[in-house]
This record gives sequence, C-alpha cells and structure tokens, in this order.
Amino acid sequence: MGIKTVKRHGDTLRDKLYIPAIVSGMKTTMRHFVTNIKDNSNLITKSYPEVQPTDITDRYRGVHRLTKREDDSISCVACYMCATACPADCMFIEATERTDGVDEKMPAVFNIDLLECVFCGYCVEACPCDAIRMDTGIFSFVADQRKDFILSKEALLANTRSKDFSDD
Amino acid sequence: MSNIVNIVIDGKEVEAEKGAVLIDYLFKQDIDIPHFCYHPALGTDGNCRMCMVEIEGSKRPQISCDTPVKEGMVVRTQGENIEQVRRDILELELINHPVDCPTCDQAGECKLQDYYMAGGFYESRLEAESKVKAKKAVDLGKNVMLDQERCVLCTRCTRFTDEITHTNELGIFSRADHSVISTFPGQELESDYSMNIVDLCPVGALTSKDFRFNQRVWFLESFEAICSGCSKGCSIHVDHKKEKYKDDQIFRFRPREDHDVNGYFICDDGRLSYKDENDNRLNDASINQETVSTKEALTNIADVLTANPNDTLLLVSPFLSNEELALIKEYTLNNGTTLSGYSPQYYDESFADDMLRTSDRSPNRAGMMALRINENEKDFNELLSQKKVIVVIENSYFEDKAELFKDKKVILFSSKDTKVKEFANTVLPVASFLEKDGSYTNSESVTQHIKSGIRKNAPVGTLTSLWKAIESLSKEKA
Repeated sequence: MGIKTVKRHGDTLRDKLYIPAIVSGMKTTMRHFVTNIKDNSNLITKSYPEVQPTDITDRYRGVHRLTKREDDSISCVACYMCATACPADCMFIEATERTDGVDEKMPAVFNIDLLECVFCGYCVEACPCDAIRMDTGIFSFVADQRKDFILSKEALLANTRSKDFSDD
Repeated sequence: MSNIVNIVIDGKEVEAEKGAVLIDYLFKQDIDIPHFCYHPALGTDGNCRMCMVEIEGSKRPQISCDTPVKEGMVVRTQGENIEQVRRDILELELINHPVDCPTCDQAGECKLQDYYMAGGFYESRLEAESKVKAKKAVDLGKNVMLDQERCVLCTRCTRFTDEITHTNELGIFSRADHSVISTFPGQELESDYSMNIVDLCPVGALTSKDFRFNQRVWFLESFEAICSGCSKGCSIHVDHKKEKYKDDQIFRFRPREDHDVNGYFICDDGRLSYKDENDNRLNDASINQETVSTKEALTNIADVLTANPNDTLLLVSPFLSNEELALIKEYTLNNGTTLSGYSPQYYDESFADDMLRTSDRSPNRAGMMALRINENEKDFNELLSQKKVIVVIENSYFEDKAELFKDKKVILFSSKDTKVKEFANTVLPVASFLEKDGSYTNSESVTQHIKSGIRKNAPVGTLTSLWKAIESLSKEKA
C-alpha cells in the first residue's frame, strides 16, 4: 500500500489573511439585508406564535385522535395492534367487554403518553379498524405538568380532523 | 425388530414403527402438518381434512391422522399438488369464519390464524353479508365462553367431554353450515376439568372467561413450573408479564404436556390458583407488631434462635421445596432445635377425584417424608406443650388456633398475610411459591424443578437466602 499525499488547502497568503473571506461573506449578508429591508413579504422566518404556519400538509403526523363509527360510538376494539407496533411503548390500553351490541370488545382505558411518543405513525399503520389517526394537525402540545401530557380515551375522542385538511 | 419398517418421507428414507399413526410420526420428525381435529389425547376423528399428505400408490391424498405406517410407504408432505389441496380445504374452513381476530382472545396462538396468514386469504371469495351468522359470546358456565361463528367443528371439545370427563355436556346441533357447538338445552358445563377445552380448541371458539380481554398473548412471557394446588403437582406453564410502570403479574396457568405426571390436562381449581399467588401477600417485617427492616428482623430471629436452641420448635410445611427443607433440617441437626412437619390442615378428602386431583392439597409432602421430617400428631402436640419458642415456616396450621401460642415466643416466616401475624413476636415475609427456584416431589415420587421467571419490582427474599443470613448472624454471635 502506497501513501497518497493530499495537498493541504488554505495554505496560500490570501487564505491566511482571512480578510478577503470575511469581505466576501459580508457581501452576501448585506445583499440579503438590503433586499429584506426593501420588501419583507417573502421572509421565510415567521413571528411564531403570533403568526401560525399555513402550509401543514395532509400527511403531517400531529397529535393522535380516536375515530368514531357512523353511530358516533368509538371505533377502537382494543386489539392492541397499535401498542404492539409502538416502538416507544407509549400506549397504555385496558380492554373491556362491550355491551351495547355494536361489537364485542372496546378499550376501558386508552392512554397515550405524548412525552414518550415519537410520532412515527406506526399505530395508524397497524390499526385494522382505522380507529386511530394522526390527522388533527396539532403540532404543538403544551402543558406544565407531566401527567397532562398523557392523553386519555376521552381526550383522544374529542380531537377532530384538522379543518385545513381536505375531506378525502 | 420386525415392528420397524422403512418408509420415505419427502424423499428421505426413515425408520418408523409399523402401525403407528402417520401424523404422530410426522410430529416426531418436526414436520408441521396443519391439523385441527387430531389431538394425541383424543385420537383420530378425521373430520377437518387438514392433515392431507400424498402417498404414492393412493388414488387421492390421504389424511395422515388416520393412516397407519406401512412398509415401503412413500409420503409427500410438500409439493404443488398437496399444498393446493390443503389450501382449498382451508378456504372451505374459512367460508363462514368471521375473521374477527382483533377482538378474539385466541389471536396469536390460533392455528386457523396462522394458516390463514400463511395462505394469504385476505380477500374472501364470499360476500361478508352472506356468511352464516351464529351466536357470539355465549357463557357456557365454568369460566368458558363460546363463540359459535369462530368454530371449525373439529369436535375436540365434544370428544373431551365424551371421552375424558364422561360428562357429555357438549354436542353439535343443526346441520350443514348451520352446525354449531353448544351444551344441551338447560345444561351448563359441570366438569372440574372444563377449562381444558379452551386449550384444546384450535381456534377462538372456546375462550377462557377468566382470561377474557385481560392481555394479548404475544405480550406474555412464560416459564415452566408446577401447580401447588395438590400433591399431584401437575406441570404447568406460568404466563406472566411485567408491564411498563407496573409490577410483574401472573395472567394465567396453562397445562404443560408431561406424561409422567398429568398428561395434557389440569383441573380448573389448579388453573385458577394463579390468583392466590399474589393475593393477600405479606410485605413488611415486624417485631411486636411494629414494622422493622428485614435486617433488624433477621438479627432478632438469630438472637432468639441462638439463645434457646433446646427450647425451640421449628414447624415447616409441605409447601417448602426439597432444598429449603434440607437446609432447615440440617440446621436443626447441628444445633439441637426440634423440627416438625405436622400439617393436617392441607388434607381435603372432598377435593380428590379419580383423574388428577388428590386429597393432599400441598405440593411436597413426599419430599418432606423423604427427608424423614416428623409429621406425627402426638409428637407434635407433646413438643408444642414443652417448647417455649415456636418458629412457624409457611405453615398455616395455627391460622385458627392462635390460643396455642399462649406464653410462647412466636417467629413467623410467611408469604401470606395471616391472622397468626397478630400473635407472632417476629414476622418475616418470604418469597411465594412461584417466586423462588426449587424442586418438589409429588405423590407419585416424581421430582420436578421450578426455575422462576418472575421479576418483581421489590422482590421479597427467598427462605433459602434469609435462612442463610440467619445462620451466618448466629455464627457471628457464637
């Protein structure tokens, strides 16, 4: 095995002086500065949270929701497929007998710990009943206590599909 | 050796016993033949037609559960033809099946689900609306739930009640694709072995009411153990799980195939005895009713035992393992304390039957007898009146006889929170039956070993470890 000697860059006098590089960098900065001072409508940076994003796509994975059947009852049959697929182990389900005649089984408890969730969407993929979705468009979820980040079955049922998303 | 014949299976020449059932032989060779109705405990019925194999010289495929092994037989279990035959039979089985695996407790250990997934019948050729409907969630009594739609009519359950328990509660009613399993009108399951049909059912038609919707089976971990319900010591699987943020919990017992002990089945009382394991546990060590650390209790016990060895009676029980009994026996031989295994309270004549259950409801009396631990009533009563220090180790004899403790110092080792606690001077909790390793000898002198797989968040010390600690503390004092 031979040794290949690679020429080191930045050894010239121009590079060692630094000033030409600083000048060319400042030139770029000043060009953007002047453009944005003249017209700020094309700015990519937003004054969040006063200005909310409007470009969230239909495929965005936001906070989960539990869907309902046509008769407005819960779709979930507590099969644990979501909890089985979940890589973060953040779903806590307890099943119970369903007595209203719609189905045999339903969740008594269905908790998702959003602090543990990695928003991978595997639960949505795994669900055989289309009972869990992540189409609420909720990208920001704030609370000041850990326990408030655990979404209960009722909270998940109360979430709805984002109004900004198309209906199909 | 004329009984051994040469046959060819999938192109491989093998030796087999003449006249043996072909499917049994295939299982022994680790060849997985799909089947529903055949079960080694129930024998051949030949109704499900799933175990078809090709045999050279036969006009059409044969069911391997009803084919005896013959000299020169050439059997094919794989190949395009036979797999197509099996596929078509499976599709027939699935015609009226609801495929409601998400709500079915059998999912994960269901033969039909496995074959269905392997066969890839995701699109049914039959309209869902035209499937024959039947009753779902029928309570058959004795903790068994029936779902008639999921049934493949293999008749394992009816054959079990006809041939094994001879109680004949189950039958097949109606004809053709309206055939359903049910109990006879006005009758419920009554056998003490009824829950075995839950294990026998290859699909989710019969499920356990006790286990219903409690857990999905693929989350469960399992270890091999024995049932402590009686001196038969049936082999079981213990299915348990330590869920996130929770403690390790046992969800069910299942029988384990063991031809030296219980065969394929266990009784319902044994199966449901998993509940006793965690019920009513003793957690805190105490001295004179005040909670203390385990260390303090150990020191206290070591003090008492070294102070008056000749005035001490140790009462062990047949719930202890051979190893624990041997350890305590050796201790008493070395320092002059007296040992008894008197425990008549575990005998219950009404529990015994002619299948598996015995009248002695403790797992290791034979082991205690093998170690020559005295169980004599007269000797025990004599000792009890003489001795001033009584050490009760996992023995419930004093449960309703606390008045016998008058003027005595009592040390209690127990995994259960008993009334005796109130009369004991020192109380020390120990690990329960399934939380420790050990061997047990059943009433037929078969010794079985348990290696516990339970991992509690705050494990209680095993009797062996605590006793060794007491021994070393005593030695320090001496």
